[in-house]
Amino acid sequence: MSAPIYPSGTVRALLATPHVSDATRTALQARLDAPVAYEPQFLAPETFALLEAVAARLFPQPDRPDNPIPLAPSVDQRLTEGRADGWRYDALPPDREAYRLGLGGIQEIAQELFQADFMGLNAEQQDAVIQALAEGTPPGAAWETLDASRFFEEMLAELTETYYAHPLAQEEIGYVGMADLPKWSKIGLNEKDDREIDVR
Amino acid sequence: MPDEEIIEEGVINPVQPEVQDPLLRSLLAEEPIPTNTPKEQPQAVEPEADEVDCVVIGLGAGGAPLLARLAQAGLKVVALEAGPWHTPETDFATDEKAQDFLFWNDERLAAGGDPLAMGKNNSGTGVGGSTLHYTAYTPRPLPDDLHVRRDFGQGEDWPVSYEELEPYYNEVERFIGVSGPTPYPWGPARSQGYPLAPLPLNSAAQLMVRGAEKMGIKTSPAANAALSARYYQEGVGWREACTNRGFCQAGCSNGAKSSMDVTFIPLAVKHGADIRPNSFVTEIERDARGYVTGVVYTQNGEQKRQRCRHLFLCGGSVETPRLLLLNELALTSGQVGRNLMAHPGLQVWGTFADEVRPNKGIPGGLISQDTHRPKDADFIGGYLLQSIGVMPVTFAGQVARGRKMWGQPLRDYMRNFNHIAGINILGDCLPHADNFLELADEKDARGLPKPRLHFTAQENEHRMNAHAEKIMRGIWEAAGATDIWSFQRYAHVIGTARMGKSGDDAVVDANGRAFDVPNLYISDNSTFPSALSVNPALTIMALSLRTADKFLESLK
Repeated sequence: MSAPIYPSGTVRALLATPHVSDATRTALQARLDAPVAYEPQFLAPETFALLEAVAARLFPQPDRPDNPIPLAPSVDQRLTEGRADGWRYDALPPDREAYRLGLGGIQEIAQELFQADFMGLNAEQQDAVIQALAEGTPPGAAWETLDASRFFEEMLAELTETYYAHPLAQEEIGYVGMADLPKWSKIGLNEKDDREIDVR
Repeated sequence: MPDEEIIEEGVINPVQPEVQDPLLRSLLAEEPIPTNTPKEQPQAVEPEADEVDCVVIGLGAGGAPLLARLAQAGLKVVALEAGPWHTPETDFATDEKAQDFLFWNDERLAAGGDPLAMGKNNSGTGVGGSTLHYTAYTPRPLPDDLHVRRDFGQGEDWPVSYEELEPYYNEVERFIGVSGPTPYPWGPARSQGYPLAPLPLNSAAQLMVRGAEKMGIKTSPAANAALSARYYQEGVGWREACTNRGFCQAGCSNGAKSSMDVTFIPLAVKHGADIRPNSFVTEIERDARGYVTGVVYTQNGEQKRQRCRHLFLCGGSVETPRLLLLNELALTSGQVGRNLMAHPGLQVWGTFADEVRPNKGIPGGLISQDTHRPKDADFIGGYLLQSIGVMPVTFAGQVARGRKMWGQPLRDYMRNFNHIAGINILGDCLPHADNFLELADEKDARGLPKPRLHFTAQENEHRMNAHAEKIMRGIWEAAGATDIWSFQRYAHVIGTARMGKSGDDAVVDANGRAFDVPNLYISDNSTFPSALSVNPALTIMALSLRTADKFLESLK
């Protein structure tokens, strides 16, 4: 079965309706309104640019050339504020060290595989670097002290959760659960309330 | 990488670090924040306040029921809750990220072969504790859940019988408003049915019915602590019925979910309980005899002391043992932090041609306990089967972790969200010497040692998972799913301060009273001697009421 394709603009249209609570609207609108330009606060500019480049391969967005869902800023903001999500793999160092070591390690993989900076590689080569990381035994000294599988899992999960929390990504998958007022009346198989979105 | 990278390198494996976080370290160096170490700053603690009858630490499923009971008995009670008091209508957005504040977000370290995800998975903070974001799935244990050792020769038996607990299950279900099937299809006949009819089945539940019927597996609408109809709540008024919002793993915005903040806590307040939110306890004070005399806590940055005649520790399986270990309290059995268990919670997901829209309706709509003691089992104990709905951010995170998908394939797969449904198990877990909680050298933002949780699933859990995966894949295939995959997880941290018959091998007795400290009680899932093959919340509440009653009897 090929995956459904939903029309765009759906969540944005629902946000203006009374189906969305004020608290919900505030949270989603803030993500839509986040400025495109972002000045990193914790990561050095070149490290932040590297994170952006990695995120662009983990979530390629050729369909949004002018307004990609920003992924790297939320990582930088979290590291700046020292926020945690309640747990950490004991195998990994604290999040700030893990990200800086891991991103440095990605550069090492790029050097080992292609003798070039990650930013200078084409998309296919960048994917090969990420695949080496995802497989858990990439080349490079950084990975002798940093658990590659756990680091990749943590980074991918964080970026994934940021991506699908964004209203544009929720439009992409046809999710309109934020428009839950006053209630859902039709919850069984192949049933939907009028405000739920059909495929394009 | 820039030069500063090298400077940071020494932080990776530091020896006895005081504070790991570089930002915090610099803040502390420049401008010391008020600390929680009264030994260094005794003048920071207020003069001793009036003594109260009871202090209760933690307002989740363990603390709230007994708080209400003690207040109803006319005792002067103070409750200290680490988190804030929320207003559901305005604080609980239908957005997963915006609900992060409900989780215990101080970092815990997850070690062992199957590290336990904490945060949103296994913790809570706020007036109501983790019941603010529990799924509200509230099956009772079956009687033999309490006697795994008697029946199998391994694990531990409970020093309390199901018969002793049954009146408390009846009371809790009636008081908080559990919706469920009557009669209940598994276990012995019950003296009381559920007070409300089951909630309607969502798509995932309907699909599980379809697949299970073909497999010859009996199913039933599940018991959930959410209202299928309006319900009158003492101290609250009428609570409205569930709106099928499906957002139960976060805060319920209309009070239909029976969390502690809309059930036992208003009852406690009505009877005079003094609730102090944002109050983080650091120290438990004792006299020369070893009796607890009071606690020291920080509320909104200010350090305070509350004297008490009796202390009830209800912080859950991580914070309860952490407080005991930090204060070197009730440790003579050697069992504090030991016997850490976690329920096998294997999930199986599939894609259906039907439209599922898995975000709607109570997530755990259906149950089967046909696998409670399977005839072909090659393991001890058993498990329940449950249909599961899901929200997109949670699901996507699991896809990333579990399927290791990334790039365009991940985006393509996620476009099937409206056609995805899952089943999972909740299985018993045996205690094992390798599974325990300890205090790490690494410190948190308060300067206290972080808890480190060691968990490695053992042979019994592996066999149970394999048995369950085969059955769940069979159900999903029979229901018409494609692209079936499984996600290994372990849910609920249990044990770490277990109850038993003797202080030689248990921390508290059957009434929840510490063997070492006569005026200290523990009421939460840390006291469970075995994990049970059902979700813990209902049993935590039932035990909480029983502990309160036994304590009140002891005062006579």
